Amino acid sequence: MSALVVARNTYREAIRDRVLLGIVIAGFAVLALTQVLRPLALGEGLRLTIDLGLSSIAFLGLLVVLLVGAGLVSKEIDRRTIYNLLSRPLPRWVYLVGKWAGLSTALWVVAAALGFALWALVALLGHPGYAGSIAEAVYLEGLELTLVTAVAVFFSSLSTPVLSALYTAGVFLGGQWCDDLRMIAGHFPGAFARVLEGAADVMPNLTLFNMRTLASSGATTSALHLALATLYALLYCGCALALGAAALESRDFK
Amino acid sequence: MPSVVSSVASRTVAGQRPPDGARPASGAAIRTRGLAKSYRDNWTLRVKVGLSPLDLDVERGEIFGLLGPNGAGKTTTLKLLTGLLKPTQGRAWLMDVPAEDVRSRCALGFLPEQPYFYDYLNGVEYLEMVARLSGLAAAEATPQARHWLGRVGLSGRERVLLRKYSKGMLQRLGLAAALVHSPELLILDEPMSGLDPFGRRDVRDLILEQRERGVTVLFSSHILPDVEALCDRVAILLGGRLERVATVGELVSARGGSVEIRCAGAAVVELPHAFATTLRRSERPGETLFTLSDASLLEPVLAWMVESRLSVRAVIPQRGALEEVFLAAAEASANAASAEGVAAAGDTRRSA
Repeated sequence: MSALVVARNTYREAIRDRVLLGIVIAGFAVLALTQVLRPLALGEGLRLTIDLGLSSIAFLGLLVVLLVGAGLVSKEIDRRTIYNLLSRPLPRWVYLVGKWAGLSTALWVVAAALGFALWALVALLGHPGYAGSIAEAVYLEGLELTLVTAVAVFFSSLSTPVLSALYTAGVFLGGQWCDDLRMIAGHFPGAFARVLEGAADVMPNLTLFNMRTLASSGATTSALHLALATLYALLYCGCALALGAAALESRDFK
Repeated sequence: MPSVVSSVASRTVAGQRPPDGARPASGAAIRTRGLAKSYRDNWTLRVKVGLSPLDLDVERGEIFGLLGPNGAGKTTTLKLLTGLLKPTQGRAWLMDVPAEDVRSRCALGFLPEQPYFYDYLNGVEYLEMVARLSGLAAAEATPQARHWLGRVGLSGRERVLLRKYSKGMLQRLGLAAALVHSPELLILDEPMSGLDPFGRRDVRDLILEQRERGVTVLFSSHILPDVEALCDRVAILLGGRLERVATVGELVSARGGSVEIRCAGAAVVELPHAFATTLRRSERPGETLFTLSDASLLEPVLAWMVESRLSVRAVIPQRGALEEVFLAAAEASANAASAEGVAAAGDTRRSA
């Protein structure tokens, strides 16, 4: 119950933050831009619209995570607002889960709003049948953002907002290039290869959440893929939040 | 009036601490045993003592003041009790529940020093949130939030965002947040800070009202007249060490001991040689004021006055102000510290 109270407060903070409003406006602007660029796409206008629209959701969502999520805990410590919460019967891990859940909810709302706008645009262009593939792609992007938020919250409980943002961006990029890292590891000998493989193992495999190419051609994915991606995201979030909670548990608030 | 004299608070004596995990006898609202905090600088690895082992009992229903200059360990003590700091050693209990257990904070209302708030919330939203976190159901939280907002003089500002509140208003809101769930124990860190005289009076009244309800109050303050007016007992912390715990009466009477004697008219008598150093005379319009610095001489002085046919109007025992007691303790502590420093330097030179 306390986690819900913290989550509601974090959601409120995110929704009332101008950053989020700016991101939503930027998302709509990108959708408008795709219509300007359509004539240049040599007959692939629909594919361009869906691909750019879905990419903008992922990119702008990542911006929110870096700008808001990376300072989610550390800013509360710097501003001492955390004193008013942790001096109540609120376990620190519940506080952390609440912060993560609140920002994740805000990101889901943004992703859903931009996804709906994308589908509406595609339907206006005469292709209402893309609803399923766009919905699946947006769902997977929502999962990806939820996972990256958990990573940001973990770093935020350890470090400053700027460093947390840098580390989170690093994990995001590493997660996108997980398979490439493994491939590169094969070209190096011994210890260095093992380091690269270890890094690839620790990084979240974010390619699992990318079905932009599929969606832009109107294809859908399997229920098994969606279920596995959901389970993977939840497990990774659990691990990141458990580590974050352990770090926060040992902290002194001077 | 709560029982205040029966409670015990003493400096830690090495070897007499209960073992960790041992639960002391119940009864006290706050109990610490060997509670200590030190910080290590990550760069120089030097250890700085924030609080030396502290044994303290605050009885249920009393108002207990923590006095000390900046850096004395007051805030450290309060943060250790509220779980914001982890002790280096020792333990604390709030209402008989170990302080490291979050349940110890169910009955606790805490006002941090210079409280900070979420500036995107309004007053009601903030109080609702903290009330819910302290265990109130949603149906109770909203009326309680509105009640306490009005109670601290912020009615009519329910929908104003906190970023538009003044410093004094935020301090009042912090107090409302500490009280919104009707706690049994209040811990207030500098509750009068940032308040104008009216605000200070309101906070004083609020603290006294809580005592009437049976709430235990522990607060730190630099404003000594407030401490003197409110507290049943005070503890003086200096340099992270508990110097003294006593009732306000004990502290000031130990320091006091002078007596003021007022006589009608201008006294045309010569002071006897025996009282030359202890009795001072000053003339005022229509009366003569004698100040006797040693109260034990009151009887012979009064006998001499009767003999000298002085018309005694009033005999008024003078209490020393808490400020004097506090400053004297601070001075004594500083002198002791510098004497220790000199002795240590001497030892170093000798050994060199």
